[in-house]
Amino acid sequence: MTVSLAVPDILVARAQAGDEAALEALYRAFETPVYNLARRMLRRPEDAEDVLQETFLEVVRSIKQYRGEGHLWGWVRRIASTKALMRIRRDQIRATESLDDEPGKSGMHIGANLDLERAMEQLSETSRAVVWLHDVEGYTHEEIAEQMGKSVSFSKSQLARAHARLRRTLGAEAQDVGGTHA
Amino acid sequence: MMHCTMEDLGALRAGEASVWARRHVTTCATCQQELELLYQRVAQLKALPSLRPPRDRWPAVRAIMQGERSRKRRTWGAWTGSLAAAAGLAAILLLQPSTGQHGQLHAELNQAKQQSATLEDSLKQYDIDGCVLSGHAAAVVADLEDRISAIDGTLAQQTVDVEDGEAGDAALVKLWQERVGLMRELMNARATRARYVGL
Repeated sequence: MTVSLAVPDILVARAQAGDEAALEALYRAFETPVYNLARRMLRRPEDAEDVLQETFLEVVRSIKQYRGEGHLWGWVRRIASTKALMRIRRDQIRATESLDDEPGKSGMHIGANLDLERAMEQLSETSRAVVWLHDVEGYTHEEIAEQMGKSVSFSKSQLARAHARLRRTLGAEAQDVGGTHA
Repeated sequence: MMHCTMEDLGALRAGEASVWARRHVTTCATCQQELELLYQRVAQLKALPSLRPPRDRWPAVRAIMQGERSRKRRTWGAWTGSLAAAAGLAAILLLQPSTGQHGQLHAELNQAKQQSATLEDSLKQYDIDGCVLSGHAAAVVADLEDRISAIDGTLAQQTVDVEDGEAGDAALVKLWQERVGLMRELMNARATRARYVGL
């Protein structure tokens, strides 16, 4: 989903002055893209809702620090993706993810004609996040690596593994393209 | 025959592929097809419908925001109001003998102020600003903080009145006791939430 949300400068200025109506207008402008971003990165809808709330609390607290450099959506999106990645890290600490993207681990139980959304759900949250941030939101591997606190090669590797997994899940062919073709 | 890996295909898409991969894909129909599938998958990802939040989270955000604003006001009020009230009252009581009704009021006032200070200290351990609150919980906390702020403001005014001889010490004691009651409710609300979030 490509988002191009223009927000009038006067609205931002009012929000920075603490005007509650202006802050709500910003919330209304960005609630769907923020939730969508979080929901695409995270497996549980309730986690995405929490990220939405945490993101706007941060926006409300920090809007004065926004200097108008770049689109406001870019600034809000950065906060949202950071919150979502923090949640992924926290969940990883609490429990090992049950659905990791080991080749064939759960693919055996997945039909060949599942749609893309279902296929995305089969990915680990880390893989989902990398795919979404890179392929849809347009983040570079360098930006993803910085936000995740990982290396650029980690981001590239996660993306490749995720696409290999999506390919297997979606494709009619039973080829494993994660490595070399036969 | 070696084919492109998914990393090779990703690099081809980004224009960062090795010389070998760039040459190979021009001659290998399988890899050309895989590259095309990759492009299609990314296009499909971008075309996925936008997901809307199932519930409106603005009321919760607003309640927390208002709570934080009133807490800021209360902090100032506590410094300019409560401390001024305490200082003013202490000055009055020091000038008067602590016997009879005055002595009893003095004792009650000290007790209320001590309880209030203890509760303030205890509340610090439940500072949950960074946590998600439900709209209802946030509204309860914000309401209690607003009422405490209002009492702090009244306390400041009451002290001025006492110094002017327009109100009795009993009113101050009542206000401080009311403040302690609200602080206890706030403490319970925060402690419950802190247990819930595992702090």
